[in-house]
Parts: sequence; C-alpha cells; structure tokens
Amino acid sequence: MSGQRVDAKVVMLGKEYVGKTSLVERYVHNRFLVGPYQNTIGAAFVAKVMSVGGQTVTLGIWDTAGSERYEAMSRIYYRGAKAAIVCYDLTDSSSFQRAKFWVNELQNFEENCRIYLCGTKSDLLDEDRRKREIDFHDVQDYADEIKAELFETSSKTGQNVDELFQRVAEDYVSTAFEMSEEKGLDLNQKNPNTYFYSCCHH
Amino acid sequence: MAADVYKQKNEDVPNGSLVPPDRQHAERSESPTPGLAQGTEPGAGQEGAMFVHAKSYEDLTGADNQDVIPRSPYQTEGAQDELTKMEEISKDFSELSTQLTGIALDLEEEIRQNEEDKLDLSPQASRRDSVLSGEEEEDVTMETWRMHQKHVFVLSEAGKPVYSRYGSEEALSSTMGVMMALVSFLEAEKNAIRSIHADGYKVVFVRRSPLVLVAVAKTRQSEQEIAQELLYIYYQIVSLLTWTQLNRIFQQKQNYDLRRLLAGSERITNNLIDLMARDPSFLMGAARCLPMPAGIRDAVSSCLQQAKAKSLVFAILLSKNQLVSLVRKKDQFLHPIDLHLLFNLISSSSSFREGEAWTPICLPKFNSSGFFHAHISYLEQNTDLCLVLISTDREDFFTVSDCKRKFQERLKKRGVYHALLEALHTPFYSASQVGIPELRHFIYKSKSSGLFTSPEIDVPYITEEEKERLLGLYQYLHSRAHNSSRPLHNIYYTGPNENLLAWVTSAFELYVCFSPLGTKATALTAVNKLMKWIRKEEDQLFILSPQTY
Repeated sequence: MSGQRVDAKVVMLGKEYVGKTSLVERYVHNRFLVGPYQNTIGAAFVAKVMSVGGQTVTLGIWDTAGSERYEAMSRIYYRGAKAAIVCYDLTDSSSFQRAKFWVNELQNFEENCRIYLCGTKSDLLDEDRRKREIDFHDVQDYADEIKAELFETSSKTGQNVDELFQRVAEDYVSTAFEMSEEKGLDLNQKNPNTYFYSCCHH
Repeated sequence: MAADVYKQKNEDVPNGSLVPPDRQHAERSESPTPGLAQGTEPGAGQEGAMFVHAKSYEDLTGADNQDVIPRSPYQTEGAQDELTKMEEISKDFSELSTQLTGIALDLEEEIRQNEEDKLDLSPQASRRDSVLSGEEEEDVTMETWRMHQKHVFVLSEAGKPVYSRYGSEEALSSTMGVMMALVSFLEAEKNAIRSIHADGYKVVFVRRSPLVLVAVAKTRQSEQEIAQELLYIYYQIVSLLTWTQLNRIFQQKQNYDLRRLLAGSERITNNLIDLMARDPSFLMGAARCLPMPAGIRDAVSSCLQQAKAKSLVFAILLSKNQLVSLVRKKDQFLHPIDLHLLFNLISSSSSFREGEAWTPICLPKFNSSGFFHAHISYLEQNTDLCLVLISTDREDFFTVSDCKRKFQERLKKRGVYHALLEALHTPFYSASQVGIPELRHFIYKSKSSGLFTSPEIDVPYITEEEKERLLGLYQYLHSRAHNSSRPLHNIYYTGPNENLLAWVTSAFELYVCFSPLGTKATALTAVNKLMKWIRKEEDQLFILSPQTY
C-alpha cells in the first residue's frame, strides 16, 4: 500500500523553539543550520535507515510543530508511535513543564510508546553553567518514575544525538524481537533479514 | 526533444517565436479585438478554467458570507448573475471599494459619513500624533519606526494586539487601543470608519469580526488596494486557524490573546506583506504561469493527473511562486486568493526543503470552516520545484506521499523530468522577444483562465526600488481602471520616465510599459502587435489544457 517502508514510528514532541527540528537535522543530515529561527509548519516527516546489530531498521521520524496552534492535530502524529522523543530546553524551565504535558498525553493515549526525555542545547551550558534551569537529577528521578530514558544533547556540537537515536532503534529492535517470539508477529515482511525471513515467511 | 527545439529556436531568432513551427495553430483567432468574448482571448483554457468562475464561486464560499461586515449597506449590491469572473475574484475588494470610493446612492449620506470619518482629524496632525505617540517612551527606535512606508496592525475587537509589522505588539498595545476606540466610536453611531487621510498618510481600516486590521501607509496605493492587502492578511490568519475556530475562540473569551495561537506565523505574514509589494499576482488576482513548451507541460500534467488518490483534491506543481501545473478534482475550483496564500506559505519557509511536510491548512475562499491537509515537498533538495498535494483526509499522509513518489517515477519513466528541469533553467522570457523596440514590460491577464503572464523586468528597472516603482505604476493604472464609481477601459499615461497603457476588456487585461519616447499612436500599433504575439505564444505562456481527476 505505502511506498515508504517504515519499521518504527518516532515522534518528536516539545515546546516550540526547544530545537526538535535541529535535533532531527543533526541526526539525519549531520548538520546544524545557523540562521534565524524557523518554526516548523504542521509536521515534517523523514525516514532514516539505520543498522542495529546487523539488522536494518527504518525510523519514520515525525518532527512536529511546537506551536499551540497544532496541538489539536498532534494526536495524528503520535498515534501508533513506537517511540516519542519529548524535548525540553535545558535553559528554559517552562519548556520542561510543557514536556510533562506531553508525557501525560502519551501515558493516557499511547501506552505502548516508549518515552525518551531529551534536554537540548547542552552546549549553552558548556559556555555558562549558570544558564542551566533544569537540574539533571530532578529529571532523572522523573524519568525513572515514568520509565523513560534521559538524554542531554546538543545539536550544535552533535553531542549525544546519535546515541539517542541509536538507543531508540535498539530498544525498538529488542521489543520487536520479543514480540515476534511471543506472538509470532510478521514484522519481517517489511524487513528482509535472512534470519527472520526463514522463520516468518509463509 | 521538445526542449531542444525550444532552446534552439530561442537562440536563432532573438525576436521570434517561442513556439516550434509545427506547433503554430490556425484554429484560434489571429488578431484579438476588444470585442473578444470571454473564453476566446489568448490564454483562455481550452477545457475550462482551473479557478473559480462566476457560478461556482458562491457555492464554494458560502460560509464566507458570514464574515462580511454586517452593517454594510452595499454588500448585496450588483446582480450576482451578471458578475463577470474578474468581479467575482475581486468581489470582496470591489465591495470594499464601493465603500471606500464609491459615490453612494444617497449623496447626502455619503457626505455626512465622510465628515464623520474625518471629523476626528481636526486638527489633523495632533490626532494622528496621539495615535502614534503612545509608545514614544517605550520604543527607543521611534523615529525609524515612524519612517516605515507601511505599517500593518491586527487587533482583536477587545483592542488586544494580534500582529504588528514593525515593533513589538506589547509596546503598541495602547496604540491599538486607540485604533479600536476609533472603530468603536463610529460604530456606536451606527457608522463605520474606513479611512483617514492626513499628512500624506492613509490609515485604512478593515473590519472582519472578530478582528480589526489597520494599515498606515505612505505609499501611492489607493485605499481600495490597501484594504485588499489587509483582506489578504485576514485570510492568511484564517488559513492557519479556520474562520470557525477564530470565532469560537473569541466567543468563549473576548479578550483572548490570539498571539498564543499565531505564534511563529509572523514570518508568514511578514512575507505576505513583502510579497504583495513585489509580485503583481496579488494585484491581478491571478496566478502567474511559468512559461515552458506546451508539450512538456502537458506531459507533466498528465503524470500528475495519473498519480491520484481518493482524498486528493488539488495537486499543484510550482516553482518560485509560478504555476507549472495544477490538477484539480472535477467540479472543484481553487480560488486565486487561496493559491496565493499557498504560494506565500511555501516561499516564507525553507523548512519544506527538509523532508515531507504534512500540515493542516484552511483555504478560506474554498471553505473557511475546515482544514485540508497539505503535503508539501520539493521534488529534489536543490531544485525550486515544489509539489503541493491537498487532501481532505488527515490520516492519508502515506497514501499522498505515495502519490508524490508515483508522480516522480512517471516523470522519469516518460523522460519528462529532464526536460522539465531544463525548462526551469531556461531564463525567463524578455520583453525584447516580442520585437517592439519601445516596449519595456507588460502584464497580460486572461480573465477566463485566471492566469497572467509577464516578462522579466529588464533594464532600466534593475534595482528593487525601480521594480517596486514600476509595480506601483501598474497599481495606479489598475486602481484607475477598476475604480468602482468610474471604471476606465483604456488609459494612456504619460510619465516623466515611461509611458504606460492599460486596456481592460471583459476578456482580458493588459498593462504595458513603453519607453518615454513613444507616442500614443505607436503605442496602439504596438499593443496590437503584442496581442498577436501573445496569441502566437499562448500555449507556452499559459496552461491551456488543465487536467482534472
């Protein structure tokens, strides 16, 4: 049906201007665009093929707009998502409140979606420690409570960005593996891996 | 290959035809006359228009009637069935113009009204000062702020700032309060403020409940044209929120701060205001076609038509605000205003280059109460070719994305893609190709197709200021030709730097710029020659066979 072969839907959520698009830019194109801030309109979709332990996984990343205007639409972007990267700006405490809002949304509507908390713009802290408005340990406690992973990234320097997405993909693969073992789900029609192919092909 | 023929021809005969000789056609009238019926003028589509026409307009914009200024005594003026297409397209605007410049049926009332409109101005300057001086302490860049050619303000009926072209809205809240006070003051008297003229400024008010839009302009535009721009800004806001949502918000909370919902859209609005000063599309109420060999365009259109999906309503291929191809669902027509809003949205953001965008968008002239979902993407990262697929189903992203893939595959399979890119790289045509020495520039609009063509603006209009000045002259001619109380069909304007001619018929509009050395007689001969040339080139310059699903 669809020409785009996507294994896992990943959605980026968070307040506007926290740097969701920059994070995707850094990860997908390995670049950081300097220039005036451009807010995302609606949502942007990018597919990224990556390799996890010799297996190919295609992440379909939905980079959503942070603007409140699109809030009512946001469900179509996170519905059925395997992973949500909920971003907040390490130098803006209000953005963390917004992140908590998204976590609640996800817990209510997408139980099976793994949550990754991502504190962005860590390079700004390297310049000036006092800019940090959100304590790492507080967020770690919160992350444990909601069973989320926590990353602090910088799209400018690239710090922790690949690690974050790699983790998303690894977690997806291990869950998919468990599920296919338990329920015999045919995940591999889209995923021509020889090992799985032989066991699930019919 | 068609593209090669096209190119070669261009080089060989500098003033000649853009059409390969085998594509010349005899079946259409060679020499257009002013009596030319609508639908037979050069550029008229052979299989019907792509845009709204008189009959479909009202059906498509039913909801829009609600946002017409309720108190307007003129809103029903004019027999609907007699409206020509042009009038339909600029219906809103002509309504406004009636209000702004028309000679009212009751002359006495008109005079009284004018007095009321202007009574606040005596003494003129001091009043305007008080309007603008509120933030003198707040804004340090006051002098430069005041020097701007055109200010645009949007406020809610509670007087809350929504948008300001320059300066922060917070700093301008008292100014906006005064604006709202002016509006309310006259409304209390069962009247409406439309414009204030003072000290070289025009202050134009447009009321579209729940918003009030105000422009303070030093430009040469008429109030009618400034009001038209304000309407575009209003539609721009509606395209983000829908009219229904906009009204619901203010019904629930009168003093709602709309900036919360519009956050991030300032750039789109700013871009729209800049674009309106540069791009004649808005003035013409029509879409500009990217010239290209008809064979290539038809092949592209049919590829686009074949990549269809159930929920697709419109598919638009464009390059730098010019239309390459448009496929629509049968019986569904796009309104030029909606198309302009799409063009503006795309040109205001480079973020569409980063993948596939999927965004809710309201096309206010099509249906102001609901959202479409637009799939926006560039065919390749480094081309200007942008594809917009408009779907009715927000869940249909992957289906629509697949349509794009199919379209691209088909283009390549048919060998059209390369030719298309080549046509894009061929420079725009220049006025010198027409072979009229004194001709500098022109704008020709076919009314039945809603399309216009215009050559590249050449010497001596090189600088941005010169280009805007030329557009300003066209604006002036346009406003004279479309003055609702005294419309003109033929205008010959002799200026210090150029002579201009405007010719408006029921089928087409032509605006021509000549060198200042020509005479009226030579201009008339030239216009005939130009019309013949446009007829000869029409299948390159226009989309003659639009496709439908």
